[in-house]
Amino acid sequence: MPAEPAIADGVRREPRVLAIDAGGTMTDTFIVDRDGSFVVGKAQSTPADEAVGFMASATDALAQWQLDPAQAFPRLVAGIYSGTAMLNRLLERKGRRIGLIVTGGMEDMLRLERGIQTYLGYPYSDRLHVATHHHNEPLVPRERVYGVRERIDLFGTPAVPLYEEEARSALQALVAAGVEGVVVCFLFSYRNPVHEQRVRELAREHHPELAIFLSSELYPMRRDLPRLNSTLIEAYAAEPSREQLQRVRAATREAGAGFDLRIMAAHGGSISIDARELGRTLISGPIGGVVGALHLAESLYADRAERNIVCSDIGGTSFDVSLITDGELTIRQTPDIARFVLNLPLVQVDSIGAGTGSFVRINPSSGRPELGPDSAGAAIGVCWPDGGLETPTITDLNLVLGRINPDYFLGGEIRLDAERARAAVAEQIARPLGMVVEEAAAGIIELFDETLRYEAVAQVLGKGYSPVDYTLLCYGGGGPLHVAGYTEGVGYREVLVPAWAAGFSAFGCACGDFAYRGDLTVDMPILPAADAQAKAGVGAFISAGWRTLRERLAAELAKSGFAEDAITYRHFARMQYLGQLNDLEIASAHGELVDGEQVDELIASFEQAYAKLYARSSRSPELGYLVTNVIVTAAVPVEKPALPAESRQASGVAATPKATRPVWWRGGWSETAIFEQSQLCAGSAISGPAIIESPADTFALAPGRRAQLDERRIWHLEEL
Amino acid sequence: MKVDPAMLRDLLDERLPRAQVRAIQSAYKDADRFDKYVAILQQRVPWPEPIVLPFGEHLYIVAKGAGRYVIKCDCGQELGDYRSNWKLEALINVRATPAELAEIYPEKMHGHPDYNSLREYFCPGCLTLLEVEAVPPGYPVIHDFLPDLEGFYRDWLGRELPGGPA
Repeated sequence: MPAEPAIADGVRREPRVLAIDAGGTMTDTFIVDRDGSFVVGKAQSTPADEAVGFMASATDALAQWQLDPAQAFPRLVAGIYSGTAMLNRLLERKGRRIGLIVTGGMEDMLRLERGIQTYLGYPYSDRLHVATHHHNEPLVPRERVYGVRERIDLFGTPAVPLYEEEARSALQALVAAGVEGVVVCFLFSYRNPVHEQRVRELAREHHPELAIFLSSELYPMRRDLPRLNSTLIEAYAAEPSREQLQRVRAATREAGAGFDLRIMAAHGGSISIDARELGRTLISGPIGGVVGALHLAESLYADRAERNIVCSDIGGTSFDVSLITDGELTIRQTPDIARFVLNLPLVQVDSIGAGTGSFVRINPSSGRPELGPDSAGAAIGVCWPDGGLETPTITDLNLVLGRINPDYFLGGEIRLDAERARAAVAEQIARPLGMVVEEAAAGIIELFDETLRYEAVAQVLGKGYSPVDYTLLCYGGGGPLHVAGYTEGVGYREVLVPAWAAGFSAFGCACGDFAYRGDLTVDMPILPAADAQAKAGVGAFISAGWRTLRERLAAELAKSGFAEDAITYRHFARMQYLGQLNDLEIASAHGELVDGEQVDELIASFEQAYAKLYARSSRSPELGYLVTNVIVTAAVPVEKPALPAESRQASGVAATPKATRPVWWRGGWSETAIFEQSQLCAGSAISGPAIIESPADTFALAPGRRAQLDERRIWHLEEL
Repeated sequence: MKVDPAMLRDLLDERLPRAQVRAIQSAYKDADRFDKYVAILQQRVPWPEPIVLPFGEHLYIVAKGAGRYVIKCDCGQELGDYRSNWKLEALINVRATPAELAEIYPEKMHGHPDYNSLREYFCPGCLTLLEVEAVPPGYPVIHDFLPDLEGFYRDWLGRELPGGPA
């Protein structure tokens, strides 16, 4: 998928899929045509009315194909949004004015929070450094939190009736305080929602205009603080986004678009902007690449039974790893976002603070080099004088080694000062280490690559799998520069590097299924003594949960005009051994468990998954099992971006370099061939040492490695 | 991390935003942080003796010359040689009865006076509350801190103790 020269072929072009990434400063629009070519447009974000920035950005993209929105929009069949507005609203505490009603006695839950929330997102060194921990500013101040006496016990039985008078006066006081909505979150409401529902009835009687958010309806899952957090975020940060999204949708419709604007959601599917649980779209950017990888796997390995991929993304600030195993994303049930633990199932992406912008320092106490955990962010490194930085970054080291071209960074848009970088590395790193500048820089890059290598391998081994069964996919702006380093000596089945690695996350966002996910806590034990009849009873209970969720998801898809028979449902249960702490997500072949045997099947699948992940000795089937949550996903078919399909003349085509320059590889300088990514055709094979440059990234091929470009413009990296 | 005196001053006065405090906590100290810090404290006290080591809130060890080092309060009140317990020079208020504890605690929120008493130490010069001990009744006065001044200067700051060997 190369960046193509603009040609006057607006008539022939068939734009099909549009993806919008509305960041804090820039809005990027990504438009793919039928052949898999794409254009990227940019415009300044307009937080007051996102539709303005979006249309400017889309116009910018289409202009590269000599099209305007009125010509192109009617031809688009899918549009997907991802953005950071909701997250920023949360981080900046600029959400709605919300009131909160909780079970009497729990009023200080937001101030006490959970210990873990005082250090979430910290690097390990600060987690150990207790003085750095601090409490979050609550989303709802204490004076707008009201306790109402009531109690549902853990079996779902009302133990203390709802004190309606207290609920009425709480609502009254909150309305008087001028709230824009009220969240109600009672203990065990996911087992029995009657008290929460009664509060809503009371609100309707007295304050019919007041928006009420019930935890039992939005995120009916156990774990009180995550349930409260998720429901609060829905009311506080997600609802205002709905208005913005409606404006963006209105703008697309005005331009003649017929597609239903969707948003990328945390579980890896995309959902309509009319979805009830909009909070599920709180973060979407980081998982775009993983969703793209899944799409890639489906296309590349259509004939292969096991589709296992290690997704690795190197950006400026972090190295993110996520696993796709047997074609399934890994889901984390209570992830943390912006220092909140949430009940929002999220594609599991593990991050370490090691990116191309990570600072490199020599620890004055130990005299050893240290990477990060903080990074230069948008300021690149010392090599960019405008950034005003004085501490060198990984990019500075790469520049010292000649691996990055200072005159071709972002296609030459930003000039880097190699001498400035070299001076900083010499002074701050080489001198304290007592080494030659290049040797010190190369040594630290090796350390960096090693850190990434262990992180990726640990993710695979930690889940009980082996790298030989996995394909490693590398993307992100810094990925191609380090992929040879961090895959060296690891026997991955294959190592793939898309030629559009820097734009892969945006591409991925456009690949999301139109899929909803529903979660419901059932906490259903399967006791060791359970006979076939008892198990059938459990099966009926699980089936009832699935049925509830199917109805809920069908209603969501009906909003977008999909009939029941167009929907593909998948059913899952989260299970654990009774008394253990961690549950696992198990797919069920049946959507209705009609007898004990089918429950046994589910148990067998759980046993199998558990055996892969944990030691055999930690199994405890003698204690029985617990089905914690039931889950349903509902998907309808949508068009996804096509992968490029070039014709390949031959394999192992020798390519012609555009230039040569000295690059430091292990041990010394060597005159290295430099290639231009867009000039290479399918079938090209290049052996290291070599550098393949494109405006968006640099692909470094160390000596001993060879890369071959396939018809889909994906590099296959091999060891010689 | 380079911390300029203005930032240190704000840190001292608790006016620095949380994010900046965290950045200072998590970063390496610049080599001359101690000197910058002492310089700010020195500016704020009304007496001329050089501060050798800050000794807690309102208290400092200062050099009196000829190898003599004493503990001194903000106000200038001296509390004896740094090797002896300054608390013995302070004014002491002991809260040992329910009535005395109730003056500062909500009902039933304080320790039982049979097991726990509070000792408050005040500066005799300016009556500032300098320290509070929560101890079993009759427990000896705690000597909080006996610094190795010479070792600190020699091994950590790499210079001789100003004001001569103690």
